[in-house]
Amino acid sequence: MVVWQLAAVFGLLSLLSFGGGNAIVPQMYADAVVAHHWVNATEFARFFALGRLAPGPTMNMSALIGYATAGFAGAVVASAALFVPAGLVVYALGRMWRKLHGNAWRDRIASGFAPVVAGLIWAGIPPVAGGAISLQAPGTIAIAVAAAVIMLTTKVNQALVVLGAGVLGFVLFR
Amino acid sequence: MADVTVPAWVVARSFLWLSLTTYGGAQSAAIRREVVRRRGWLSEDEFLELRAIAMVAPGPNSPNLAILVGQHLAGTSGAALAFLAATVPGIAIVLAFALLSLDPRLGGASAALRGCAAAAVGLTFAGAVETTAMRRLGAMQLAIVVASAAAVIFLHWVLWLTLLVFVPISIALAKPAPRESAGA
Repeated sequence: MVVWQLAAVFGLLSLLSFGGGNAIVPQMYADAVVAHHWVNATEFARFFALGRLAPGPTMNMSALIGYATAGFAGAVVASAALFVPAGLVVYALGRMWRKLHGNAWRDRIASGFAPVVAGLIWAGIPPVAGGAISLQAPGTIAIAVAAAVIMLTTKVNQALVVLGAGVLGFVLFR
Repeated sequence: MADVTVPAWVVARSFLWLSLTTYGGAQSAAIRREVVRRRGWLSEDEFLELRAIAMVAPGPNSPNLAILVGQHLAGTSGAALAFLAATVPGIAIVLAFALLSLDPRLGGASAALRGCAAAAVGLTFAGAVETTAMRRLGAMQLAIVVASAAAVIFLHWVLWLTLLVFVPISIALAKPAPRESAGA
């Protein structure tokens, strides 16, 4: 049953989604595109973009992969599997918090995760770029570069940047 | 630190509003503005503690923060309601967006989405730059950033292996307490 596969894949991703979720993008790509062929590279890139465009965490894209794979049941299962296991872990951690208060290892573990999570976010670029930009369509590269520059140099809301790119895409690629 | 108690549904109402109006990297800042500044439910220090747990734990930061703030203010029911308020609306909206954009009757939607996808690449790049630059990482930590990225991109390491190999190394390299370099 594909729904069970969705639950297993996204449930494991949930427990591994350290660093806010975007660190699991390369693994989500490996599972959903390469291993299971639930979506292709272009769909993956577009779902990622929708995840960034809509309010809430980018990882809401799990619902879209679930939907593309198994309809509404797939959307519900994939998003529940992505959010609930991590939610239970953070709930348990919250309860343990007072016991860990002032423990030096807490900060050390946090600072140990930081560079690995940063590395994983870098590793998320090729999977997202693969289906989204190409040399055959220079407009896509120009939009990507412009978006990066705007994000790094201004405080503009990123949803506005994505929306603006949507308008440009409508003009350029129709 | 007098513990504030707030009805679960009131906490959930705040997170419902936040989840409908906040995006990506701005979420944790928006949550802080609401629960510390506007409502005064948490002190700055309490919020920072919860934020640290939300970052160390797996899962997207904003639902994690919703769970922790809900738990802190209104117990288990507060955690559950805040979690639902922080996740369900976003998922519904993203599904609605996708259904609209996949509808063949909306011819231009696919072209528009192509532009959005290209921009998302730029946003991801900017996010990677900021995550790396803002933490003031040392040379050893930068080496770990490069090594863990390379392991995934070029060696196709799976996520759990990457975490299993690099997190212990990174923790060992993290600045130990000044008195002694801890062993095990």
